[in-house]
Formats: sequence, C-alpha cells, structure tokens
Amino acid sequence: MVSPGVDLIRRMAGGDREALAAFYDLYAPLAFGLLRRMLRDVEEAAEVLQEVFWELWRAAGEYDPRRGSPEAWVTVRARSRGIDRVRSVRRREEMLVAPLSETAAAVPEAMANPGALVEEREMVRGFLRELPAEQREAIALAYLQGMTQSEISAHLGLPLGTVKTRMRLGMERLRGMAGSRT
Amino acid sequence: MSAAHEPFDELVAGHVLGALEGDDARRFAAHRAGGCAECERAIGEYHEALARAAAAFREAPPARVRHALLQRVGEAPTRRSRAGQALGWVASVALAASIAAVVSASWVRARYEVRLDQLASEAAGLRAALAQQVQTVSDLRRQLDEQEKTLTLVKAQAAAQERTLALLGDPETRLVSLAGLAPHPQAQGRIIWNARAGGLLVAADLPPPPAGKIYELWAIAGGKPLPAGLFTVDAEGKGSLAVAPLPGVATVDVFAVTLEPAEGVQSPTGAMYLASKKA
Repeated sequence: MVSPGVDLIRRMAGGDREALAAFYDLYAPLAFGLLRRMLRDVEEAAEVLQEVFWELWRAAGEYDPRRGSPEAWVTVRARSRGIDRVRSVRRREEMLVAPLSETAAAVPEAMANPGALVEEREMVRGFLRELPAEQREAIALAYLQGMTQSEISAHLGLPLGTVKTRMRLGMERLRGMAGSRT
Repeated sequence: MSAAHEPFDELVAGHVLGALEGDDARRFAAHRAGGCAECERAIGEYHEALARAAAAFREAPPARVRHALLQRVGEAPTRRSRAGQALGWVASVALAASIAAVVSASWVRARYEVRLDQLASEAAGLRAALAQQVQTVSDLRRQLDEQEKTLTLVKAQAAAQERTLALLGDPETRLVSLAGLAPHPQAQGRIIWNARAGGLLVAADLPPPPAGKIYELWAIAGGKPLPAGLFTVDAEGKGSLAVAPLPGVATVDVFAVTLEPAEGVQSPTGAMYLASKKA
C-alpha cells in the first residue's frame, strides 16, 4: 500500500501549502513525540519541530519513495535536527554551568547531570520494548541522547566492543521484526 | 550476508544511530563511497525500523507550531512563484533577493527572539542565583567572624577563670575586702591577691564614671601608691580588673581605688572610692 504521505509530499514539491498542512497533521505527532523524548523541554521540541517541517517542505522535491517511507523521511530529519539541538543545549549548559560550579554547589542536580538514569528510563518507556534491556539501552542512548559509542561505553562502564555488539544485535533484531510485520 | 562484509554490519548499525566516531566513521564513509548495495539496503531498513519504533512516542504538538509553520510558508517566496515567471529573469532575481532579505530578517527575528529572550532570562536567573550565593557566603563569613570573636572572648574568660582557680589554690593567695568611702559609701570590692601571680579585683555598686574619667586601682606598699590598673563599671556599677604582679613588691599594705582622668595617672589625684584596711 502506498502511504498517503507519498502523494502529499509530491504535492508539497509542487508548492501546495494545503498538502503541507495535511502532511503536518499526519506526521507531526510522530516527529514531536520523538523530539520530546530527546529534548524534554516542550519549547525546545516545538521549536525544532517547526524547523523540521520547514526543511521537509523545502526538500519535498528531493524525496524518493524508493529510498524510504515518509515516516522514515520524517523521523530521520527530526532525529538529526533533534540531536543538533541536544548537543547545543548540552554545550550551553556546560558553558553556563562551568564558571559557576566553583562558587555554587547550588546548581540544580538535573542541570549538572542531564542524564539522570531514572529520567532516562522514564523517557524511553515503551520504546523498543521488544528488545532485551541491554540492547534497548545502548540504542536509546545513541538515538535519543546523541551519545557516541565510546560515550555510551563510558556512561555504562562497558567495553566499547560490547556496546558495538549490543547495537548491532538490537538493530538487526529490530529490522527483522519490522520486516515480519510488513 | 558475506563474511567479507561482516565488519561493516556493525558499522552500519552505529552509523544509522549516529554513534560512529573517529576511525570507524572514516572507515565506513570510505566503504560507502565505494558503493555498497548491502549497506544502503541495511541503512534504509534500519531507518524504517527506527521510524516504527519512534511511533511509540507519538504525541500531539502544541497547536501554535502548525500555525507558525503555515504562516512562515505563506510568507516565504515559493520556488514556483507566478510573479517570478511573469517578470523577467533579472527582475525576478532582484525581487526574490529583496523579498528574501525582508522575509529572512523577519523570520530570523521571529525564530530567535523568543529563544534569545529565554536565554537572557535563564542567564538573569543564574546571575541572581550566583548573587544570592555570594550574599550567603558573605553572611556565613560574617557569622563565622562573629563566632570567632565570641570564641576568643570565651577562651579569654576561660583562661581568666583558670588563672583565678590557680590563684585560689595557692596558699599564699589572700582575699582582701575594699570598703566604700565618702563619695559612695555603699560601694564595695574584693581583691584576690597573690604577690607572685598578681590578682583579680571585683567591684560592685560603684557609680559609672563621668565622661573623661576612669577608676584606677592603687597598691600601696611602704607608704608609696603604685598604679595597678584602670577599670570602669557597667550600668549596674559592676566592674573587674585583672591585676598584674607588681615587680619588687612582696607585700601590699593597702589597695585603693580613685577616680582619675581617662588615660590614668602615675600617682593618685582624684577622690578615693574604695580602700582596704591596712594588712
């Protein structure tokens, strides 16, 4: 079945603003939910969401349905812009927090330590629940928090090789399941 | 999947998750640049799988985002604007450039002003928090200074009490009473005196000295008054004075207190308020 999004993207490429409105209504919740898990702050997520759909509108002419579904097109772009923002927020916090850290033990814990584990678990609830916890964790830290493999290795106190293996096994398993459903 | 391709299976997963770095990232980019259908297929399928997984998070965005997006799109020049086709190429480029200048300025403003405001208010919040910290630190320092002063005082009192106790334990120490004289007969005083260690005067019911005046204690030995210290009294008329030993004086015959100029004098000039009986 051809996704209704494919036709809408084609119309968007032709400058049809109504198609953009319909496309947004269809896919914005997907992108926004993902951005919310990455950014926590609603304002940040809303701002990035607008940017994502603006870019999709501009790039509609480049979309090739043979290369991926509209869902993948939207989530790849949302995840990429989301990670840019996650990193810039992290840099900003480091910049603002670092000069204070000597004087102020008062910097809120959540700010000094944005990756609090409890919150992490809460944020990814329901995500990849088909996967074993250790594979889910490695994938979620990279996909949602923008951590590199060596950062995840340090964060979890695991050998780098273990992290790489967990990611590969998790992704292969996920792909297998997706394939079995289509 | 071929065995030769196996190392790249791991890299594909890391690449799709944006988690590759350093040598891994370079190696995978080089491999991909060579054209690898297997990797491209895997990348596509992984993205589809992640999109399905992300659907678990679906959440309705705030309505204002849709409104802002459509407004932005409505304001922006489209790639296929009819105005652009009607005007000549040069004119359309000029028009597009001028529209873009105006529009981009306005959307840059719209986009970043809120963010800048938010950053400014965050910075102000941090500054306020820092100022409060500094205030707290200075309050704490002041409290610490006060406590240090109190501690010094308490230590001095403890040392004085210790000296008094040592004095009292010495068999050579004697207790001398001083009686009030004519200017203020109800006044009284006591001196714990030890020729070697000195002593302590305690006075009561003395009138507070008038401005520019002070009480002075005299130790009279062999008919000669020796200055033994200055003291004043509180509102209740109580005062005390630690008295240093008097070099070369083995026996004090009489202790007396007179009212003298505030800086003290070397021999008594004022009225005598207290005096002991001759030992």
